[in-house]
This record gives sequence, C-alpha cells and structure tokens, in this order.
Amino acid sequence: MSLAAEAFVTQIAAAEPWPENAALYQPLKEEQILLSDNAACLAVQAFLQMCSLPVQVVYRANAEYMSPSGKVPFIHVGNQVVSELGPIVQFVKAKGHSLSDGLDEVQKAEMKAYMELVNNMLLTAELYLQWCDDATVQEITHPRYGSPYPWPLNHILAYQKQWEVRRKMKAIGWGSKSFDQVLEDVDQCCQALSQRLGTQPFFFNKKPTELDALVFGHLFTVLTTQLISDELSEKVKSYSNLISFCRRIEQHYFEGRAKDSTFRPSLIS
Amino acid sequence: MGTVHARSLEPLPKSGSDFGALGEESELIEVEPEAKQELLENKDVVVQHVHFDGLGRTKDDIIMYEICDVFKAKNLIDVMRKSHEAREKLLRLGIFRQVEVLIDTCQGDDALPNGLDITFEVTELRRLTGSYNTMVGNNEGSMVLGLKLPNIFGRAEKVTFQFSYGTKETSYGLSFFKPQPGHFERNVSLNLYKVTGQFPWSSLRETDRGISTEINFPIWKTNHTLKWEGVWRELGCLARTASFSVREESGHSLKSSVSHAMVVDSRKSSILPRKGALLKINQELAGYTGGDVSFLKEDFELQLNRPFLWDSVFSASFWGGMLVPIRDKPSSIADRFYLGGPTSVRGFNMYSIGPQSEGDYLGGEAYWAGGLHLYTPLPFRPGRGGFGDLFRTHFFLNAGNLCNLNYGEGPKAHIRRLAECIRWSYGAGIVLRLGNIARLELNYCIPMGVQSGDRICDGIQFGAGIRFL
Repeated sequence: MSLAAEAFVTQIAAAEPWPENAALYQPLKEEQILLSDNAACLAVQAFLQMCSLPVQVVYRANAEYMSPSGKVPFIHVGNQVVSELGPIVQFVKAKGHSLSDGLDEVQKAEMKAYMELVNNMLLTAELYLQWCDDATVQEITHPRYGSPYPWPLNHILAYQKQWEVRRKMKAIGWGSKSFDQVLEDVDQCCQALSQRLGTQPFFFNKKPTELDALVFGHLFTVLTTQLISDELSEKVKSYSNLISFCRRIEQHYFEGRAKDSTFRPSLIS
Repeated sequence: MGTVHARSLEPLPKSGSDFGALGEESELIEVEPEAKQELLENKDVVVQHVHFDGLGRTKDDIIMYEICDVFKAKNLIDVMRKSHEAREKLLRLGIFRQVEVLIDTCQGDDALPNGLDITFEVTELRRLTGSYNTMVGNNEGSMVLGLKLPNIFGRAEKVTFQFSYGTKETSYGLSFFKPQPGHFERNVSLNLYKVTGQFPWSSLRETDRGISTEINFPIWKTNHTLKWEGVWRELGCLARTASFSVREESGHSLKSSVSHAMVVDSRKSSILPRKGALLKINQELAGYTGGDVSFLKEDFELQLNRPFLWDSVFSASFWGGMLVPIRDKPSSIADRFYLGGPTSVRGFNMYSIGPQSEGDYLGGEAYWAGGLHLYTPLPFRPGRGGFGDLFRTHFFLNAGNLCNLNYGEGPKAHIRRLAECIRWSYGAGIVLRLGNIARLELNYCIPMGVQSGDRICDGIQFGAGIRFL
C-alpha cells in the first residue's frame, strides 16, 4: 500500500471513536520484560490513563516482533496497530484526545525538548546498563531476554540483540563511555527535570501532558526495578520532587488498578 | 586375430537379435593377415582384465563396486550388456563427464583364446564447477551463484553451495552428499541453509535457518528417507496492513523434527506418465528432540495413470494430510496446510481456500484434494514425433477441502467437516512438459462450491510447477 493510501486509511480509522476492546501489547511482565521496555510500556499506559482511554494490557512473549516498528509497546485499536509513545500520541490526538492542546507554541516546543532529553538520556542510559554493562548483561538481560525461547535460540537472539544495541551505542558515541559517565549523564538529566518541575504538581502546572507520562514511565521503572546495583535508582532518589511526582501519578492514575496484576510495584510502602 | 571393436555403446539394442549387426562389423577386419573370422556371439568368453583410462582422484574401490558384474559375463552379448550397465552406473555417480567402453580381445602372455579386455575411458569432472545466473520475478531481482565440488574425496561425495543475493532477500544452502560405495541409492546428506520466503496470500514473510541430515535407502520397491531437521524460523508480516491473526504469529520459533518419507514409484517419468502409480507417505514428528514447536504431521499423495483410447491417458490423484498439535500450544501458520491454485485445486487462487482473516489465508490442519484428468494428444496432432509431443490437452475435475479441526470432536465429526462445503472445479486446458521435471499449464477453469472468503480464478488460469494434482 502506498504511503498516501496508508495515511488515508489512518485518517478514516481515526474518525471512529475509541473502541471498548482496545488492547496494549507488551512483553511478559514477570520473566521477560527489560528495564527500558518496561519504562516505555509504563509511559504509554500512563498516557492512556491520563487521557481516560480504557485499554486492556495483553502480555505476549513475541510482542517485540508483533510490533510494526519492532519496539514495544504497541496498541491494537479497531484494526489499527500503532507502536511507541510518539505515534500513539499522534494517533490518539487524531481521535480527538489530547493532553497538550492547552499549551501554547512555546510550551509545546519546550515539552518536545524535554521529551527528547528523556529519550536521549534516560532511555539510552537504561539501554547502556542492560546491554553494555557486562555484569547486568550476564545476570539479568540475557536470561530474561532469552527466557521465552528454547536452547540455543535463547542465546542466539540475546546476542543478536546485544550486538545490535552495542552497534547503536557506538554510533551515538556511548560505546566508549564508562558506567560512571553514564550515571553522571543521568544525574544531569534528573537535575534538569527536577528544576523544570520545581514545586508544580506536573511539568506544565495543573494538567499532565505526555511529558509527564514519559518521565513517570522511566523514573518509576528505574526506582522500582531490582538491578545488580542500585546506583541508578540512588541518583534519581536524590531528587525529592521527582519522587513525589512519581508517587502522585501512581496514586492518581494507577491506584484503582493496583489489584490486577498489570501494575504491581509501588512506591508507597 | 579377430578384433571386436565396440565403441560408444549408446544406444544399446534392447534385444539380443539386434546383435546380428556385430557379425558384419567383425567382417570389416577381415583384411588382417591370417585372420580367421570368428563369430563370438554364442561362444563362451572370459573377461580377463578391465582397464580404466583417465582416473585421477577417484578411488579404486568405488569403481570396483560398479564394474564387478562385468567379470561375471559369460558370452559376448552378456559382456556388452554388462559393460553398458556398468557405464550407466558410472555415469549415475555424477563424477564423470564422459565414459566410453572399449572391448578388445585379450593380449599378452596370459591371454586366453577366448579372453576379453574391457577398457573404460573416462573423463572426470573438474574439482570445482560453478554456475552463475540472474533471475527476475515477483518484483525482485536476484543473482544466483552456484558452486559444486563433485567427487571431493574420491568416493562420489559431493559438496554443493548455492548463494542467492536478491534486492530483497538473500538465501544460501550448503550441502554435503555421500553415497554408500556400490549402493548409490543408499546415501547420507547433510544440509545447512537459510531461505526466505514471501507468502503474499498470508501476508507472511518467513526466514528459515536450518540444519538437516537425511538418510535415503531403498527397501524392496520402496524408497525411504529418514530425516532430522532443526530450523530456526522467523515469521513476520509482509506489510503493515497484514491481519492481526498473522501479526500474532510473528516472532521466532525453533522446530526440531524427525520425519520419515516413503515413496513407491512405478512411473517411467514424473511428468505426464503413460502408466504407473506413485504413492508418497510422509510423516513428521516435532517437539521431542528439542525446540518449542510440537506436532505430528501426516500426509500422503497417490497418483494412478492408465493408458486409454487413442494415445490418451487417464490419471487420478488423491492427496490428504493432517496436522495434530501436541501439548497445549496451537499449530503455527508456518506448519499448516494450504490448498488452491493452478497446481492443486484449479480455478482458485494460489492457496486461497479455507480459513482466513481479513483476506490473509491462515491454512488448515487437515485437507484432502482429488483430481481426475484425461490427457490427450493435441487435436489433429501438429508437430507429431517432435515438438508437438511435448504438449497435451487435458480435461480435469478437481475437488478438495481444507479446514481446522477441533480435536475434542472425534474422528466422525472430523470427516463430516471435511466432507461439507467441498470446493471443486472443472475445465480443460493445454499442458506443456519442460524436460522431465516441470510442467506448464494453461487452463480454462470453472470453480464450483465456492465458500465465502475463497478467492477464485474464473476463466483462464496459468500454472507452472513441479508437483501437480
């Protein structure tokens, strides 16, 4: 199908209301999902919650390969399949739901810049930790990534993915970084976010935007995931306003759903 | 001294009486001094020596097996026939480019008066042969490079490598083949491959990387193949618009299966035979030797041919198969059966019968298909005895069905499901045979029993293939 035709179909589908049976697909929660994927999935879940769009979370071992872009999560709405936060925000907007409509142009640009910052720093740091830190790779990433597959496919696929991510890291200049340098980057990113947030409930005052969903997804995952060392989460924990931001979103958007298994870890302890 | 010179034995006369010509040939040598014409035809002879000219890397023992029968010959006709057979056997090994046989009377001190020497003049194939070609098709161009190392260790072993580099996909295959010396039909082969297939009827792309070993051996009139195969399969959607059912099957799986195939074939040629029958039974068990795919798959193919009036041939074929998933995992789209198209149930589009989702065919766990054909020579027989004999007209009646089985239902319910909503078609067309491996068909088809979701090809349909219903 040509690009124009595809765009046309997308528009047609966009005109339809949000269906009851919309589903969000992500990897298996307990034994498979990795830090960075969990962050991305949580961000999309938070975003859809903020938009009050009901979605059923479906766990599939092959979610990564089902996704049209090869990245999780993706949503299946009507007969449309959309993956990753950016396109999902666009898709939802086409259906008439938006969190950032109230912002002026300057704010929108600012929001996009901060989202880029989170993707470039936090996401890349998570990827670095899970695919380039040898101890984490051996103890956590490989066993988890290969868990749905039989021998020897589990090793082949994990090494294939590792090779791919390391190549990307080299391309963006992270290949030669040490873990301490990465932590330093994370710290800077958190500092920037913390300053922007200040004492406001959300990044743009009273109403949450997709930036809040994205930041929540990453920070919450970093804070609640058990890793080999807790250096990463310690960095985040030193910013108290970010911690309370995460708690606020968790309480506000996920409290009612805490009983079902979709959302187990909690900051309120 | 009478010399019998039998060069280039092809074609060998089938009956002994044709050997009368040999007497004439020996007359030609009458000019030699003190020659006494001897008619060797009915006389006992002894094959004393067999010489080989042109052997390089080929080991002696493998040659011995192929020619040992020649020593058992008792008279000249026998010698001729046995050496012809030996020549055929040598050629079949696929290690010689040329084999010529010379039969001469024995010379030397120990020569018996009725002793014969046989000389095989052979030309070995080169150590490495290669081929290169380009192919265009299905919106894709590809370059195919083939390398072959015949007779690599001197006992008819063969290594072949094929690499295809396309604008969309690359594939390769490496195989090693070794026959048992003296029993060419008993052989072992080892294959390593990567194949990528695009299946637009299912909006599916499949990449297989695999390793397989197989043993072939004949038992009485049947040929058997035992095979183990380990394949890493990667499924993906061909387009963004693929149905969600296909999307759900995306990802990696590892199939490890053992299979057994049995073939009985009494036909003279596999394409457009005049008489004879073919029975193929194949069974595959996956999941007990590793991997995460488990099923039992059975399928068979039966074909009967009978000569009919005026050079026409009546042919009937029947196919069937069943896939039973083992354990709780449902069957994979890559393992299920597909039906329809110009090589199976004509009048329907390629693999466009049965369960489907948003226009993507998902295949079925059980199927059957049957066909009746009447092949006749072309009307008024143009090009008789030559090009025209490659063509046939045919009238056909095809039927078949494909469905999924709910395994709780029991065999009776299964048979009932396969018997309801039968797709069938009839028509006529022209068949062209290409060598002895493939055939082309141009048919006018009338599909019947079409169910909703099936895609039909009402009217002219073109087909090319190797296996036909």
